[in-house]
Amino acid sequence: MDVQQQIHQTVTQSPVVLFMKGTPQFPQCGFSSRVVQILKACGVNEFASVNVLADEGIRQGIKDYANWPTIPQLYINGEFIGGADIAAEMYASGELQQLLEPIVKSV
Amino acid sequence: MLEPQQIENWIAAGLSCAHLVVEGDGHHFQALIVSTEFAGLSRVKRQQRVMQTVRDHLDSGALHALSLQTLTPEEWEAARG
Repeated sequence: MDVQQQIHQTVTQSPVVLFMKGTPQFPQCGFSSRVVQILKACGVNEFASVNVLADEGIRQGIKDYANWPTIPQLYINGEFIGGADIAAEMYASGELQQLLEPIVKSV
Repeated sequence: MLEPQQIENWIAAGLSCAHLVVEGDGHHFQALIVSTEFAGLSRVKRQQRVMQTVRDHLDSGALHALSLQTLTPEEWEAARG
């Protein structure tokens, strides 16, 4: 399985997936940390996270996967949502809470 | 150290902007970009459009973090009240 297939499998296996620098407990970048905080504020305490610093292949591959050159990257129900700016904008407008509500309820 | 003006030049060279401001401390930058090209595009597509103009500099590591606010002229007018 190549990196792109591996990434596809990861983002489709869990309802909420965050590719980030570090871990939710120990984020190693302010932007990654911000998205973790936003998810928690939406009531999402359990989500799949991938530390790109631990895997150079994933770190490069994820940029091509979504045609998005930066980390973090948030995926919900297999769909690429955006990075920290978009997550913050969608949280401020309430769209993110709306999108996550059915997932939070089903846990 | 990377100057905000340099980033403005990169973006302006690849995208027609009605308004463009980049601020930053040499490591983390924020850009406000107003362009008619954003009309009808999703948030993701707008950012992809801008990142395209600086992709080489992100890949080289010259530019590490660029936070984007992407608005159409109409949205900008509304946001300014």
